[in-house]
Amino acid sequence: MSENKRAILLSIIIFIVFVVIGELITGSGERNKKNLTEYEQLMGMGETQAHVPGPFEVFERAFEELSHPFYDNGPNDKGIGLQLLYSIARVLAGYLLSVIIAVPLGFLIGMSPVFYKALQPYIQILKPISPLAWMPLALFVIKDSILSSVFVIFICSIWPMLINTAFGVMSVKKDFLNVGRTLEMGTFKTAFQIILPASLPTIFTGLRISMGISWLVIVAAEMLVGGTGIGYYVWNEWNNLDLASVVFSILMIGIVGMFLDSIIAQAAKYFNYVE
Amino acid sequence: MTMKDFLKVENLSKSYPTTGDKSFITIYENVSFTMEKGEFNCIIGHSGCGKSTILNNLAGLDHASGGSIKMLGEEVTKPSLERGVIFQNHSILPWLTVFKNVTMAIKCKFKDISKEDVDSKAIHFLKMVGLKDAMHKKPSELSGGMKQRVGIARAFAIEPTLLLMDEPFGALDALTRGKLQDKLVEICDKTHQTTFMITHDIDEAILLSDKILLMSDGPEAKIAEIVTVNIPKPRNRSTIVNHPAFYDIRNYLVDFLVNQSGTINKKLKKGELKESELPISVDPHELRFQLENNSLNT
Repeated sequence: MSENKRAILLSIIIFIVFVVIGELITGSGERNKKNLTEYEQLMGMGETQAHVPGPFEVFERAFEELSHPFYDNGPNDKGIGLQLLYSIARVLAGYLLSVIIAVPLGFLIGMSPVFYKALQPYIQILKPISPLAWMPLALFVIKDSILSSVFVIFICSIWPMLINTAFGVMSVKKDFLNVGRTLEMGTFKTAFQIILPASLPTIFTGLRISMGISWLVIVAAEMLVGGTGIGYYVWNEWNNLDLASVVFSILMIGIVGMFLDSIIAQAAKYFNYVE
Repeated sequence: MTMKDFLKVENLSKSYPTTGDKSFITIYENVSFTMEKGEFNCIIGHSGCGKSTILNNLAGLDHASGGSIKMLGEEVTKPSLERGVIFQNHSILPWLTVFKNVTMAIKCKFKDISKEDVDSKAIHFLKMVGLKDAMHKKPSELSGGMKQRVGIARAFAIEPTLLLMDEPFGALDALTRGKLQDKLVEICDKTHQTTFMITHDIDEAILLSDKILLMSDGPEAKIAEIVTVNIPKPRNRSTIVNHPAFYDIRNYLVDFLVNQSGTINKKLKKGELKESELPISVDPHELRFQLENNSLNT
């Protein structure tokens, strides 16, 4: 059996073990909701206490939710797909804004050692600030919860991009620059034909880190500002004590995060080079 | 303007401030030599004598502390497409294919020619180094020798007035180096490219050069002697060893590097040599005699 096949088999085994243990731990005693009236269900009369949902309960909920992901029954009842789209849209808005500013700025910083040294202290202080700490200020200045969450994404994704772009540009090999010089390339030509392609792999590392952080932060930001989005959805289902939905949405956050990361990873592969 | 003025280097020197105190350390000084059009000159010397820096001065990539370099009567102050450089570590751009590496250089030099002409020029020079079949590969797919051949194709493709090579085969194994030397002999015989080359390889220097510049050890290195290689061209790596002058020159160069290069500065201080007499032009016909003479002294 090839290495890949063995890995897949092992993956499946881990999944089965996980499901079985999950089922055993969570128990299946209190799941007789089906015969209750809606009133009884709402009063939580079917269960003496809330329980962590087992894997099958989560699968059932997933199937239910994913069979009509885009329904919209008002503010507190939207399909998971719709909620995820809200979150993705915010992440993309903040992220792209950040790309537009951080990549050119990082490029300039990287090309000028003076600029790099001058901006270092500011970047080092701003970088470790939890993006959510900006939220109150953002809400006050922007006066719009959605735009504020976009701003929070912007501010959290800008640092890795900025630092990696500057670093990538700074560490372009002198030999490559000398090639440009002996070919009498001007500043612009050198920037676009030598420095940019040489530093793209490092820039993409920054882009990938930023995307990861953005997706982490949007959940927390939406829990805070509420309204729409996957973060709000998780918190809302917690308030509803619908733990199956909570677990399901946790899984969805993971899946979407993986998907976003793989998009950047694929793009990075295209621009990567081996020396 | 006479042919002598193709390249004229006068009193070139380089010094760096030493860390800590305010003194300077002089890497090389009083470096003067000339090159004629179509000449192939090699420079040999121990590590640290500033060969690479001299080459970078000639390329315009680095500025000397003093002296002047004039090519065709014009002072060299910055890099130019008239001076092609083949770097020691090939410096092929790894994100471009072999073909694109060469076309990029051609487009920089010949700005007004059509895409077809750029492509056919690139193919011509890749054929010349025997890389036509690999032209759409990325550099990472090539061996070290092939990468260096791309560097050669790229440098020749811009048809520079002066070609500068910084130990182009230094990082290669002996077999590959030999093959590339053959290739270079072949190309230079065909194109009569004026070339200045750094090497550590004495046999390579004799095979390729019209003149060999010998540098004394640094710091305060100087071009001590200039040996003219009087073996007729075209030369061949396998038959050159049969030429009677080959071993005379070879032994002389080895003797210089082993016994003489470190003593030049001492001799200057003692007054046995005069700074104004350097570099000494060595007549190839008197090599054997000189060698015996030198050995007696040391």
